[in-house]
Amino acid sequence: MNPGLRASASGMRAQQTRIDAIANNLANVNTTAFKRSRTNFEDMLYETLQGAQIVHYEGTDTLAPVQIGRGVRLADIQRIHTQGAFERTDNPFDLAIEGEGFFQIELPNGSLAYTRDGTFGRAADTGALVTHAGYLLSPEITLPADATQIGVSPTGVVSAVLGSTGEQVELGKIELARFANPSGLLSLGGNNYAASPASGDAMTGLPGEDGFGQVVQGSLEASNVEIVQEMVDMITAQRAYEVNSKAIKTAEEMIQTATSELIR
Amino acid sequence: MGLRAIQSTARTLSYYTKLQALTANNLANSDTEAFKADVMTGHRIGAATWPVPVQQTDLAQGAITPTGRDLDIALDGSGFLVLQTPNGERLSRNGSLALDGANRLADRHGNLLMGENGPIAIPIRYSKLEIQASGDVVVDGTRLDRLRMETVEDPHTLLKEGAGQYKTNSATIPVDVTGTVLRQGSTEDSNQDTLHGIVDLVTIQRAYAANVDSLKALDSVLGNVVNEVGKVS
Repeated sequence: MNPGLRASASGMRAQQTRIDAIANNLANVNTTAFKRSRTNFEDMLYETLQGAQIVHYEGTDTLAPVQIGRGVRLADIQRIHTQGAFERTDNPFDLAIEGEGFFQIELPNGSLAYTRDGTFGRAADTGALVTHAGYLLSPEITLPADATQIGVSPTGVVSAVLGSTGEQVELGKIELARFANPSGLLSLGGNNYAASPASGDAMTGLPGEDGFGQVVQGSLEASNVEIVQEMVDMITAQRAYEVNSKAIKTAEEMIQTATSELIR
Repeated sequence: MGLRAIQSTARTLSYYTKLQALTANNLANSDTEAFKADVMTGHRIGAATWPVPVQQTDLAQGAITPTGRDLDIALDGSGFLVLQTPNGERLSRNGSLALDGANRLADRHGNLLMGENGPIAIPIRYSKLEIQASGDVVVDGTRLDRLRMETVEDPHTLLKEGAGQYKTNSATIPVDVTGTVLRQGSTEDSNQDTLHGIVDLVTIQRAYAANVDSLKALDSVLGNVVNEVGKVS
């Protein structure tokens, strides 16, 4: 079997995966705080068809071995955590992060997850700040029943005016988490991520402190997908797919020539 | 003539099959980060009357694309990064970095990236990580180490092992830093020129068909000789 056929098939498969990732990016162009994914490929193993040879030819004594690669494979699909644009909502519970960092939330099983989707709300029973899925913000911040004019400062200080006394009180501080390699985070769906060995340990700190972004109240972070960029990638992927299918056709026609012409 | 010519044409066909497979692999890797295309040329070496394949990897620079990711580094210039793999040190130009479980700089498979003083551990907490053009890894103004950027005397002797890794049989030497810089927040594209590859495919196919034709002609001449000339009437 012509080894080229397999290499080209792997190339077509790779481009198909790339198209899938682009489609997912485009589908999430309006998802709050969505981070686009990038597909990365790497070359497969090489087969040595002819070992190094000792010759005396054109001044060289040895010929390098002839190695033919077996194609391409998916290395990983990586989230690119660049900043998305801000969308003003004027809802005091909507928070966006300008700069690096994630909100920490507590999943029902007690483990921590990380998100940049700052669509928070107030739990009806406890008054705690929760995500739109109902997960608690960590560390927990509880709003008293009569709290009005909720304010969140760029440094994460949550304050409110108590309706009973008319007095402004500080209710808590939002802590953010950062990662050395945010692309290494595991996607949990629902805009949430979990730490992994590849992401490094979470560094926690207050917004605005060294390296952490600031909190913007009344805004949400839009997706960082750029439609034009995705379209260009899609065209490139499609062309690359075509080229690989062309290579399959060439290999096929070569086999065809040999079999139909020589075997009678 | 005769059988020897048929042999030599058959070897030529086998050369073109290899060339097609090599071109197919290049094209399959047109989107592979820092991929270096392979080039095969046929040479008449010694008594051979067919093209003997001589292969080299085209180490030309690939285009550099900004990614906006701090842990992406692209090499602009010759040279390679050094990875510590389970099979020993390997050279690579793949600069899409991650961390291993111990907060050390690694490639995506967990192979450690080597600095001049060994693997580079990133502090658990920092505010700014810079990988400078010189290869210096600087965290919050403190220089941790410098990434090894190396090559071998004859880079064409490097063996590809897949996943962008190269094996070397000779000692590595540091590259001339004046010609090589690291670009943080970017990756290097594949240097395979797609258009070039398509033209190659067409040429290979035609050359193959031509050789099949001459094989057919040789066969029919030989058939005549055997069946007609040698006929005992």
